[in-house]
Amino acid sequence: MSSEDPLQEADTPSAPRQRFVLDDRGFNEVPKKYRKFYRTWDGPEDVLAPNEALCPVCKIVVRSSRELRPGDRIYCMACMTRLQIVRSDAGHLEAQVIY
Amino acid sequence: MAGTNVDLHGLEPEAFLEEVHSFEFWFQSVEGYLVGLEHGRQPQTPEATLSGLERERLITVLCNYCVGETAALEGAGGLIQIAPNRAAKIFLSTQAVDEGRHLEVLVRRLRELGVEEPEAEISLRASRSLVEFKRRLLDLVRGRDWAAAIFAQNVILESMEFAVFELHAPRERLAVIREDLDPLVLQSFHETMDAVGTPREEREELGRNYLRAVERLGFA
Repeated sequence: MSSEDPLQEADTPSAPRQRFVLDDRGFNEVPKKYRKFYRTWDGPEDVLAPNEALCPVCKIVVRSSRELRPGDRIYCMACMTRLQIVRSDAGHLEAQVIY
Repeated sequence: MAGTNVDLHGLEPEAFLEEVHSFEFWFQSVEGYLVGLEHGRQPQTPEATLSGLERERLITVLCNYCVGETAALEGAGGLIQIAPNRAAKIFLSTQAVDEGRHLEVLVRRLRELGVEEPEAEISLRASRSLVEFKRRLLDLVRGRDWAAAIFAQNVILESMEFAVFELHAPRERLAVIREDLDPLVLQSFHETMDAVGTPREEREELGRNYLRAVERLGFA
């Protein structure tokens, strides 16, 4: 990882980030070693954890081993998309497509 | 490449692209959802009882799927020649394999439904607009117009990589291609829905879903 990458560690809030141990949720559309980074989305009632974001392209949940914050980069392997975490007007964290 | 403890989201973009375009990635991915299936389905899946009309409708839908899958198969295969880099060529090889598998599954299903000559049935039932779409897509491939051809294929399939063609053509030009091809896509929906007797309100939803998918790819 490059320390100069603007999509990594873009903000530096004072509180340390929460860490998460990822488990395999059965998302079988990527190789086994990557399955823990994804899970299926259960629809609008599905409450995302602080380390999760919804891919707006293919509507699966992307998971990280750490709490997500604005400016973070995440990847959706299902649609090969690079995403950036942003804060929506409503105050929620959202994933925005970079490409 | 990455081991079991990889920090996926910490990968450099180039490393991520290399990984998701690789044959190994594709192979391990399809292994996850195809293992135990025969011709794309669980062997124990019971056969649904279809009325004569339902069978006819299903055959029409499958025939049109076959046109789309054949377009994608021929398109992906042809695009390998003009893909701008090794990663894209390898990815397209996996797509060609996938599309070939889809086509085989669909033709097999047609035979199961009693269609003795699938090729003839496909010709008979295929939407003219979809056939025209296929012709135009393959023209783009034959014309070695990489950005246009890969874009057209993505519209049909609502999938595939976006990054490569964005690098190779201005957005304005892709918008023109979309404007050119959208009516064919929507017309092919209507023709197929006409053939299977789908109510108008459901057709409109299909069109909206298509347009939403294109918009999600950044072409609002």
